[in-house]
Amino acid sequence: MIRKTFKVPDMSCTNCVMKLEALEDTLDGVKEINASYHKLEMVIVYDETKLTDEQIIAAVKKKGYQAIPA
Amino acid sequence: MSKNQKPPLDPVILVMIGIVFVAVAIGLAVVQSNPNTVNIANSSGTMSQLVVAFVTGLTTGGLSCLAVQGGLLASSLAHQIEQDYVEQAAQRKTHKKSKVQTPVRSNSALPIFLFLVAKIVAYTLLGALLGLLGSFLTLSPAIRALLMIAIGVFMVGNALRMFNVHPSFRYFSVEPPKFITRYIRRTAKGTDTFTPLFLGALTVFIPCGVTQAMMAAALGTGSIATGAALMFAFTLGTSPVFFVVAYLTTELGSRLEKFFMRFVAVVVLILGLFTMNSGLNILGSPLSVQNLSRGLLPSNGGGAAETGSTSPVAANRGLVLQVGNEGYFPQTLKATAGKAFTLNLVTNQTYSCARDFVIPALDYYELLPDTGTVQVNIPAQEKGSTLFFTCSMGMYTGQIQFE
Repeated sequence: MIRKTFKVPDMSCTNCVMKLEALEDTLDGVKEINASYHKLEMVIVYDETKLTDEQIIAAVKKKGYQAIPA
Repeated sequence: MSKNQKPPLDPVILVMIGIVFVAVAIGLAVVQSNPNTVNIANSSGTMSQLVVAFVTGLTTGGLSCLAVQGGLLASSLAHQIEQDYVEQAAQRKTHKKSKVQTPVRSNSALPIFLFLVAKIVAYTLLGALLGLLGSFLTLSPAIRALLMIAIGVFMVGNALRMFNVHPSFRYFSVEPPKFITRYIRRTAKGTDTFTPLFLGALTVFIPCGVTQAMMAAALGTGSIATGAALMFAFTLGTSPVFFVVAYLTTELGSRLEKFFMRFVAVVVLILGLFTMNSGLNILGSPLSVQNLSRGLLPSNGGGAAETGSTSPVAANRGLVLQVGNEGYFPQTLKATAGKAFTLNLVTNQTYSCARDFVIPALDYYELLPDTGTVQVNIPAQEKGSTLFFTCSMGMYTGQIQFE
């Protein structure tokens, strides 16, 4: 398991937090996601053998946001 | 969808449009109704408080609530919208070969409706709780003023956040605790009806500025029934605007959402400044807009009256202040310095908040009868000093100048 931070600059409200954290339920290999509108970032704990950065970025993009590895 | 094909009307939309019209009609009817009707209903002014709460919700509360609680509503809609999207994609795939496209309606009206129903119930219960709490506490005008200023700052901060003025303003947005969002997400899975109901009830944890002001008013009632009725009236009033704006933004897309959110930001900014100004009035601060403008324009304020002059002097040689539905007349009274006198507050079928009369510097607060005269003993004041008076909401103001 690794812990990685992604900047999500286009979050506009606290609802974005809930949307991003919902990836916990759909993205295989994710243990935990903590998103923050105040910091415009999301911290994700995931199994690197099951999930790559690119897959995370793509999943976030599908939700309508841009994720940039911090 | 072909251009000639019209989507069928969703019955929920029709019901909600009906509710919107009925709510607006009730609001207008109540405002324009004979004040005597209000008086018969309750002589202590509870009915007029409810009317004010309803109209406040109808006119400003809806937009303000939407700005703060929109996130929760949007998440209650997210599942529905995702479902619609999947449905649309599946139908596009099915009809690709036949080149016939079936219209797919978005069903956001029902979740918004459920969200608002839950919100009304939750706030009514909260009102009852605040009323109960208020029966043990007393909010002095000074504390109410400070509360209003704090609420005003919160609203202005939120408006500036929406305008994206500076990253620090993001902290004015209240993030629901992680355990709550996680709990909502996990328990709401696959239950379309439950999600908006639950989220609607959760809005009690993130009240908007106007709602917070109303919560303070509910606390001030000191009664379970009145507190509940006040919050019910206010939340009911917010519902039409909340519904229309939320429905339009989810149905008309992100471009319009941006436009509406900017509009909401402007309204919240104005409301925030207005609330802060009202707080300053209740504190009796010379820095409020009304008191500043009266200082700059001495003739301003609907005429001045002096002790010893022919009109507004009562038989007891005191000053007379008419307390009407539109405020105080005259707005500027002139009194002799160094001499105590009696201020006669005269009401005549007055049902507005002008009846809740406050002189902050003297720590005087009185709910006047709707018709009658109340006498206030004003102690001797120094020459050149000014006593400000206001209604308990900081809307109507005036002053006594000592010469």
